Amino acid sequence: MTETPRISAGQIGRSIPRVEARAKVTGTAEYIHNLRLPGMLWAKICRSTVPHGRIRHIDTSAAAAITGVQRIVTAADIRNVIAEPYYGPAFHDQPILAEEKVRHVGEPVAAVLAADPRIAEQAAQAIIVDYEPLPAVYDEVEALTSSVFVHDQLKPAGTFADLKHLAGRRDTNIALDFHLRRGDVEKAFAAAEQVFEHTFRTQQTMHTPLEPHVAVADVRDGAAVIHSSTQNPSFVRIEIARLLGWPENRVRVKTAFLGGGFGAKVYVKVEALAVALSMLAGRPVKIALTMEEQFFTISRHASTFRIKSAVDKEGRITARHCEVFYNGGAYADIGPRVAQKSGFTAAGPYDIPNVAIDSFEIYTNRPPAGAFRGFGMPQLVWAYECHADLIARGLGIDAVEFRRKNLLREGMPHATGTIMRDAATAAVLDRLAQRIGWGQPFNRGNGTLRRGRGIAFGLKAAISPTTSVATVAIAADGSCTVYCGTVDMGQGSTTAMAQIAAETLELDAEAVRVVAPDTDVTPYDMGTLGSRSTFHMGHAVRLAAEEAKAKLAALAAETGVPPGTNLPLAELFRRKYGMQAGTVVGSGSYLPSYVSPDHATGMTPNATPFWMVGGSAAEIEIDTETGQVRVLRLVTVADAGTPVNPRIVETQLTGAAIQHLGMTLFENMEFTDGQLRNPNFAEYKIPGIRDLPEQLTGEIVDAVQQSGPYGAKGVGETGTFAVAPAIANAIHDAVGVRLMELPITPEAVYRALRTAAGDPLGDT
Amino acid sequence: MSPFALEEPASLAEALALLDPDDPGARAIAGGTALMLMMKSGLYRPQRLVSLRRLGPALTGIHTAADGGIEIGAMVRLADIERSGKVRAAAPVIAETLLTHSNVRVRNVATLGGNLAHADPHMDLPPVLIALGATVRVTGPAGERSIAIEDLVTGYLETVLANNELITAVSIPPQTGRRATYAKVTARTADDWPALGLAVSVHAEDGVVRDARIAIGAATETARRLPQAEAALAGRAVTDTTLREAGRAAAAEAPVVADHHGSVAYKRVLIEVHLQRALRRVLDGAAR
Amino acid sequence: MSAAPRTIRFTLNGSAVEATFPPHLSLIELLREQFDLFGARESCGQGLCGCCTVLVDGNAVSSCLYLAAFADGAEILTVEHLARDGRLDPVQQAFIEAGAFQCGFCTPGFVLMTKQLLDDHPDPTDDQIGHYLSGNLCRCGTYPEIIAAVLDASHCLTVSL
Repeated sequence: MTETPRISAGQIGRSIPRVEARAKVTGTAEYIHNLRLPGMLWAKICRSTVPHGRIRHIDTSAAAAITGVQRIVTAADIRNVIAEPYYGPAFHDQPILAEEKVRHVGEPVAAVLAADPRIAEQAAQAIIVDYEPLPAVYDEVEALTSSVFVHDQLKPAGTFADLKHLAGRRDTNIALDFHLRRGDVEKAFAAAEQVFEHTFRTQQTMHTPLEPHVAVADVRDGAAVIHSSTQNPSFVRIEIARLLGWPENRVRVKTAFLGGGFGAKVYVKVEALAVALSMLAGRPVKIALTMEEQFFTISRHASTFRIKSAVDKEGRITARHCEVFYNGGAYADIGPRVAQKSGFTAAGPYDIPNVAIDSFEIYTNRPPAGAFRGFGMPQLVWAYECHADLIARGLGIDAVEFRRKNLLREGMPHATGTIMRDAATAAVLDRLAQRIGWGQPFNRGNGTLRRGRGIAFGLKAAISPTTSVATVAIAADGSCTVYCGTVDMGQGSTTAMAQIAAETLELDAEAVRVVAPDTDVTPYDMGTLGSRSTFHMGHAVRLAAEEAKAKLAALAAETGVPPGTNLPLAELFRRKYGMQAGTVVGSGSYLPSYVSPDHATGMTPNATPFWMVGGSAAEIEIDTETGQVRVLRLVTVADAGTPVNPRIVETQLTGAAIQHLGMTLFENMEFTDGQLRNPNFAEYKIPGIRDLPEQLTGEIVDAVQQSGPYGAKGVGETGTFAVAPAIANAIHDAVGVRLMELPITPEAVYRALRTAAGDPLGDT
Repeated sequence: MSPFALEEPASLAEALALLDPDDPGARAIAGGTALMLMMKSGLYRPQRLVSLRRLGPALTGIHTAADGGIEIGAMVRLADIERSGKVRAAAPVIAETLLTHSNVRVRNVATLGGNLAHADPHMDLPPVLIALGATVRVTGPAGERSIAIEDLVTGYLETVLANNELITAVSIPPQTGRRATYAKVTARTADDWPALGLAVSVHAEDGVVRDARIAIGAATETARRLPQAEAALAGRAVTDTTLREAGRAAAAEAPVVADHHGSVAYKRVLIEVHLQRALRRVLDGAAR
Repeated sequence: MSAAPRTIRFTLNGSAVEATFPPHLSLIELLREQFDLFGARESCGQGLCGCCTVLVDGNAVSSCLYLAAFADGAEILTVEHLARDGRLDPVQQAFIEAGAFQCGFCTPGFVLMTKQLLDDHPDPTDDQIGHYLSGNLCRCGTYPEIIAAVLDASHCLTVSL
């Protein structure tokens, strides 16, 4: 190691293959999905068949008679091992197994344990539950005024100070209301040249990670070990410790690679039930959900967004009022954070002097909604970017010109009052326009095939305040190991952390080992979510590596190595210990500064550690006889700061865009009277290889996040922001009709065309 | 899946003897791709399955008849039909249809007989085989009978077959002078089940349609012919007007059902549009 | 009646093996429970995602929709058999070089389907790639890189022929 620091070790900006690449192509990569422990039992879950009902009786006799069934567990049994069996990150509203009432179809009511999963499954299906049906409410707007209440009273968790005032509130389905007030909105509307008002809706969708939720719990001798496909092991540890009334150090949460997460695997999902079952059975218990069961576990909020803007003579937006209603389903999960942490950006990437935002998390009798890549942003951007296009059309201004005119630029105050720093809004918008050839003539089609172009972009704040802690160890042979709780679910964090540690320590990233999260070994991390890891954990790893580096320098000085000597690290250890021995450990802890928004006005001088800017531009072709939309080109552009691994970032962008193409065109959890009609891949269609746009690109603009580790920032969600509005705007451009809700099915397009032609299509 | 017994008889007679017309708990299994789905979801819990995979070469051959027709054994896997030169020569529309049917892995396992006996309205082959005028040969305790494909299915997952009758082969008559095509229309992803499957087989001469066979699947509860659309074409000169009238007749007569893929009204639109396009393709010679 | 466990013999990744199991076991359950082969994974459970792909007598099948009993006498090949003596198969190498995966859960299925595609069509057209790989799903959306990997592998294989 040299004493003179190099300006760059060349590890940042290297597009190396993922460090686990070989294990993934050979099938040997470790997933909890594969885990079996000696003596392990399998649990299968009996789920509610009604959307809202009182449990009259659970008949387990037929199930218990099946040979091989070890035990059948209901809520009463859970209470024998967990006194208050309710969990949730924002509200302690979710029972481990339903008690007295069920609040959505698919809610866990009982569990069966057997050594053979097929027997457990057969027995779970043989449990007969008698329900007294209760009136139910499904729509987020209806739930505001409905006399049906999903919960008797609100039970906020202690985790978040700003939810405390909600404790004990009764007779409401509003789990959280967030408000922002800037300037004088009413006055601005009164003085407006024109006012535009629209209502946009989105559908409930599901992450469908290909590795469904899975946990193996092994509780014995006063300690709990939980192997889980979780995105945040530290939170699971804290929440399970709380449920058990145990100190954190008696709960160990381990993960491996995740077969996708996308937000589905944040906070507690199946872990609490697995722990309770293991305690009851005295044996390790595995819960591995099926793809179908995932649909009843977590989802993306359906939403309604009423947006109203005042515009002056010059085409400047002078005021905007946003009312956002997120359909949270029966349990809050992290929904209240979605309503607030995304809600405050609902006015979009525009400089608007007068802003009012009212954002609501609403309980309904649908399966719960929570975090899903973008954390509420795809719903918001869908509305405000379609709205932007409609305003531009109404004013007769070019859609990109209108956006430029109103753009929230560097140094301007955001609606919260926070001054914009390192948010490349202008660069992203310019690049999108350039890449799609905005303003240049193109083939608009003819006859029954019509083409159009659309553009859209959005701005997201990183979730705050959150902490990451890491340690970096240098072994006596000089090899480096990083201990951090960031979970690699495909985003490439293992590789990114190796590159950051390598950059700091001037090593090759390929030589750095990053261990899988294990709360007995890896320090606290708030979670692998909200595109926060590169920034937060990246800093923690950098700080840990810097500390290790400083200790190595001290060791060199102590052992009399003259500065500037290029002595191998192993030799340094040998000089100190006389043999291959010792470890140098550096630790790093990172907590960005943040100021909570004022409760009444939502204002804060410091809303976020970094801004994420992302947009899409699309060229589409419509078959006007059928409404079929073909996406010819889809360009996604992002501000990722300085990318640690550009190729992985680009793959993240196009991957996110493809995923969001699914939400835009295909995906929809369809309900009839609260019954989900399509909880499987036969009827819930996600994009496949033949659904790709003819041209698909992901691109990073030249940018630096000054406060980021080596200029980097998060990008996992950025590609999801604006695919839907870009396509809807392109459809409008092509055929002059406006779709107000997702998904954009061929039938929806065709109906809009017929309606526009004054000949609406009937039902039969 | 719940436990069941599995029999693997070595002859057709043995297989038939293991099936009971009055016992729905015993069923024949061929490739098993569809049956596995039903068993895994708990939709069907058999007591006993009778595997047809050891019944020998009688059910696995593809034979071209002297008249140019073709007979395909019931246990021939869809992938083998897709790749068969004989099938391609006799009725190329079959191979073209199979290319986008389900996926390669399913076609590597699923059999022709199983595909037809399953009677799922979203399958692609039934409308194609109906348009080609194909029949199934069926063997039961009383002997053998022939059934036109359009008469095979009576409802959703229901056929005229008794529980102890087995499809042994599919016969496709010679297609001399005819051209056929299949339109698979999906409303969501490209690999989705069809919202509409539309097969047409036309014999046209000198710009006049001599005979047209039109069959629909997916949009209706069972695959079926559309006789009024056929009549709208028969003996008529090929003009845009003729095709439009056939499209309208088809849209009007089809007993369309609504589902995940679209409303009744929308599927009627699809029928009208895609029938005209399919006819134009065969009449212009783009399909065979 | 034969609801009782049955014993079959088959070739698994080149070795003759024997297994005893009840008739309602699927092939993927057999491979995971009795042979500790975890490269094939059950995800959608409906033969639509391709995560459970294995080759039976050279043909790709969804092992979640395949009765284990039907493996009797067959030659079964799983992703674990592709890399030999520490050397990756050219398809695996191409997937690494093209960065053709993110979470990696679907990857063994895509690798095996690509093997099947290139066995049948060494120099595949876009349509052929679409037809063979449309039955495999990647929720991370790594399709562009997968297509690049297929083309790389095809090039590598055709050049080395």
